[in-house]
Amino acid sequence: MNEKNPGIDRRQLLKTSLALGLCALTPSELRANDDSTVTLPFERGRRPLVAFPQKRPLMVMTTRPPQLETPFHIFNEDIFTPNDAFFVRWHLANIPQEIDVNTFRLTIRGRVNQSLSLSLHELHTQFEQIEIAAVCQCAGNSRGFFQPRVPGGQWGNGAMGNANWKGIRLRDLLHRAGITGDAVQVRFDGLDQPVAQATPDFRKSLPLNDALQEEVLVAHSMNGKALPMLNGYPLRLVAPGWYATYWVKMLNDIEVLNQADQNFWTTQAYRLPADPCHCVKPGEALTNTVPIGKLPVRSFITNLEEGRTIPGGEPCTIKGIAFDQGYGIDRVLFSVDGGQQWQSARLGKDFGDFSFRSWEAQFIPKPGHAYALQSLAINRIGESQRFSARWNPSGYLRNVIETVNIQTS
Amino acid sequence: MRVCMFCIVFLWGTGLAWGLPATGDDREPASILTLPADPISFQPGPGSDLASRYCLMCHSAEYVYMQPPHSREHWMEIVNKMKTTFGCPISNEDMGPLADYLVTQNSLQPSPSAQHVQRDDWMETPGQPLTQSGDPQKGKAIYERHCVTCHGPGGKGDGPIGQALIPPAANLTFLGKQSDQTILDTLRNGRPGTAMPAWKNDLNALELNHLLSFLRTLAP
Ligand code: HEC
Ligand code: HEC
Repeated sequence: MNEKNPGIDRRQLLKTSLALGLCALTPSELRANDDSTVTLPFERGRRPLVAFPQKRPLMVMTTRPPQLETPFHIFNEDIFTPNDAFFVRWHLANIPQEIDVNTFRLTIRGRVNQSLSLSLHELHTQFEQIEIAAVCQCAGNSRGFFQPRVPGGQWGNGAMGNANWKGIRLRDLLHRAGITGDAVQVRFDGLDQPVAQATPDFRKSLPLNDALQEEVLVAHSMNGKALPMLNGYPLRLVAPGWYATYWVKMLNDIEVLNQADQNFWTTQAYRLPADPCHCVKPGEALTNTVPIGKLPVRSFITNLEEGRTIPGGEPCTIKGIAFDQGYGIDRVLFSVDGGQQWQSARLGKDFGDFSFRSWEAQFIPKPGHAYALQSLAINRIGESQRFSARWNPSGYLRNVIETVNIQTS
Repeated sequence: MRVCMFCIVFLWGTGLAWGLPATGDDREPASILTLPADPISFQPGPGSDLASRYCLMCHSAEYVYMQPPHSREHWMEIVNKMKTTFGCPISNEDMGPLADYLVTQNSLQPSPSAQHVQRDDWMETPGQPLTQSGDPQKGKAIYERHCVTCHGPGGKGDGPIGQALIPPAANLTFLGKQSDQTILDTLRNGRPGTAMPAWKNDLNALELNHLLSFLRTLAP
């Protein structure tokens, strides 16, 4: 399907930035000054850059279990996030250190007419192979920006990525097994385990109807290569539009349930306040909660960073990305004055409704000025980003309009 | 590290035969994961021994040091969640002192590199070469402080929480065939993916040697 996007190579970028008056930052300028750490703009935001297996140096939030963030400049280099730069998030430290591809089996069981136990070979050869571009975003992405701060993983904006996922439809598997009439949910379990027996094993469930949607895949590769171990080799669930918590890694067990899943990670973790805003006042206790679900619309500026100085008096191209839960991006608006006036940005190539969508906008900054750059994405059903940040105690669903403050020389 | 060379060879063979995509990165075979040991440990101070004992079993100290500052009450809630939800075997009386310690850590973010330097110093210190024989009595004291909850008083893996782990704590009375170097490597780096912590940040070379000589006295 999609080749690598028309991403910028160095020469092309040089040419572009000359033509545009050098306002955009080069990849190396966007990178941290110090190659060994990136410091996120919140307390205790220092993250060492370390290369884990099959990964380039990424920002280490935690080593055990591994939780690695993609440095933000990567999102400016390619609309598809390279496998070796894709963020990593495990819950439990007991992660298999080797996978024997010959004995590995994926089981499908529970409320089905016939349980299945499929080898990788069978999965690769007996089912239609499907490819889809989709954003995988951690439920806790951007949690570090919540004010007041909340516990949990302290991510910046880099716990997300866009890839071309390839695999087989979950529903083809479920149909081969034959779902019984009383089925209501499908539960996914991977090979990772807790370190203590008392810790609940990590599992997630989707309502049956959502699990049967044609875009939901059991994927074996991303961007044309096998999944990296840390992203779930040999198989992971790909649930386009849903938060990454549902994209179970090292998937080896699919269980069809005839009642709502009672497991801890569904009933107690990953819950939102039930009201439509999914927010509460800081400190307010939660009464009713619902499980986290799909991605609200977001957008980011990717070629300029907070606090930078760019040349004034010359045309400047601002680039960025936008995405939502799969309705697709309708338009992106761009502002240089903190949201008082908006202009339309130009959308880039469409790689599908679940993918990052690139956009760009031009402006000519005056010399010696300060600008508050903002972008505002609106999806095809008219949902926009929020104008004020919502707050909830677990730090989920941030989609406020983000601001990048810059000056001109 | 449990590395299976056969798996690699096999993987390449069969993978190609099925038209499986090549691995994401040619530097590493797709089926093997070798994870680094914890880069930082709890900073010394009253209560740090409690944190090392109870909070390194399931995850690294970074879980604490990435947090925004939390009040003592909030830390109590977190510790309580670790106990009741996730099964951290901490006693009620240890919870208060541990929360006191966690509050003192609120503004710190220890740097891995500083600790690496420190560790290398220990290795190089001329007065403490790795070959210096340890004292089993001193080793026993360290063992009772740090290891007994998992490995049990006689080292049989039958400490109060040893059998509740996945995999369970190892029986240390069968280390006869392992070389000193192998055991010291395990002690220094732990066993990623299990509850066996890395001790290199908490114990220096001499202390590890004391431990080693104590482990050698354990008989089946
Ligand atoms: C029995 C295993 C276990 C032990 C022991 C344990 N934890 Fe945890 N801890 C977890 C799990 C599981 C998570 C959630 C992981 C996730 O969602 O990624 C967690 C998460 C955390 C978090 C992140 C915030 C949150 O609420 O999710 C903090 C902070 C934390 N632990 C601190 C501690 C401290 C302090 C101790 C020592 C008292 C401790 N842990 C001991 C299993 C444990
Ligand atoms: C939180 C529980 C825990 C603590 C504390 C702990 N261990 Fe372990 N240890 C384990 C587990 C679990 C294993 C088994 C790992 C495996 O199966 O690979 C293990 C394995 C070992 C091994 C390897 C045994 C073998 O057969 O190869 C040695 C040696 C060891 N521990 C020594 C120690 C010493 C010495 C201490 C104290 C400094 C200690 N451990 C503290 C849980 C613990």
